[in-house]
Amino acid sequence: MSTRLWMAILAQEEAEPSSNVSLVLPETNELIAGIVAFLIVFFFVWKWAMPAINRTLEARQKAITGKLEDAERAKNEAENLRKDYEQQIADARSKGNDLIEEARKAAEAMKADMIARAQAEAEGIVSKAREEAAQEKSRAMGEARREVANLSIDLAERVVGKNLDREAQLGLVDQYIAELERG
Amino acid sequence: MGRLTTLLWAVEHHECDVENEVICAPENVNILFEYKEPWFSVGPVNFTRTSFLIFLAAAVVIGLLYFGLRRNRLVPTKFEAAIQSLVEFVRDGIARDIIGPEGVRYTPYLLSIFMLILVGNLFELAPLINFPITSRMALPAFLSLITYVIFVFVGFKKNGIRYLTDTAWPKAVPIGLRWLVGLIEIVSTFILRPITLAVRLFANLVAGHLMLSLLLGSGIAFVLAVGEIGPKAGIGVVWFAFGLLMFVFELLVGVLQAYIFTLLTAVYIQTSIHPAH
Repeated sequence: MSTRLWMAILAQEEAEPSSNVSLVLPETNELIAGIVAFLIVFFFVWKWAMPAINRTLEARQKAITGKLEDAERAKNEAENLRKDYEQQIADARSKGNDLIEEARKAAEAMKADMIARAQAEAEGIVSKAREEAAQEKSRAMGEARREVANLSIDLAERVVGKNLDREAQLGLVDQYIAELERG
Repeated sequence: MGRLTTLLWAVEHHECDVENEVICAPENVNILFEYKEPWFSVGPVNFTRTSFLIFLAAAVVIGLLYFGLRRNRLVPTKFEAAIQSLVEFVRDGIARDIIGPEGVRYTPYLLSIFMLILVGNLFELAPLINFPITSRMALPAFLSLITYVIFVFVGFKKNGIRYLTDTAWPKAVPIGLRWLVGLIEIVSTFILRPITLAVRLFANLVAGHLMLSLLLGSGIAFVLAVGEIGPKAGIGVVWFAFGLLMFVFELLVGVLQAYIFTLLTAVYIQTSIHPAH
């Protein structure tokens, strides 16, 4: 693009630049624009922007505080729940231990009972058997004694050749056996 | 409508003697800053391009704040977060940290001048604008005058006549030097402060605009004249490269000067509330 084109586009009447002193002095037109612009900005900031930012920051602060409180509360709840559960677990464990202990005791008692009963029964059976054996023995002894007496008398009758007074002889034999037993 | 942008003055006016000079400089640098031709007039007041840019800056400030703050959202967008942290920075980082808890009430003023100066400074870098309205004395002078009125008013309101006497007769200073320090303090507080506040901003932006206009303007002028001057047009590339470096530097200056103006305003208010310090 040639400089002539720039000239053509932009050629404007240019006010003569003033002396260098005027550069450091405010120009009235610009001063008025500056004052008006500043006042507009200031009133906007004062009346709208500050309340807006305060509202926003307060809301954010409140929300964050609320969130933190919620979190704290949730944490406490969880902590309480945990304690509850731990308590329950401890309870259950001790209850379980009690149950096992009880069961063990019951089992032991039952075992002792059963052993005692079995022993008693065994003793009963043994004593009964012993009794029966004794009865049998005495019965056998009685029979044997009668047999021996009869045989002895039969033998004696044959030897003597006549009938003996059976009753008297039996008494004699018995007496004899008794003496044998005693002797 | 005047020149489109002062950056291109050398090109526009074909003023640059590219054959004999190594850089383009106008005879009178005021040409880079003054737009006197009115777009229209209201009574005796002319509405110029600079007037328009001043109002444009106000509109940009209001727009930024409006779109940054209008929605009361819990989770802001990036833009909203940026604007909100800017406002918070002025309120907490400047008003409260410098002045103290009572300083929060000055936030509207501090935020207004910070945003207006910031946008005004960065107009230097905005395409098609390329002119910082703060390089004209009107805005810096008016804003430092308001700052002056505020800190003097606050000084007398908080401390009564002791504001003046404590400044003129500082009891912390040894008696032999007290009159001298008092004199320096009076002059510095009531005469130099408003002037330096305005001139610091104004001069920084004038220098920046001058540098950018000369470097980028010369760069364009020399490169466009390649047909007439041949290899010498390479100078234009060098100027343009320097100009781009300055462009980045001016971004820093623009933000920094807006911050400094606002910070010093807060410091002046703070020293008026507690003059003994």
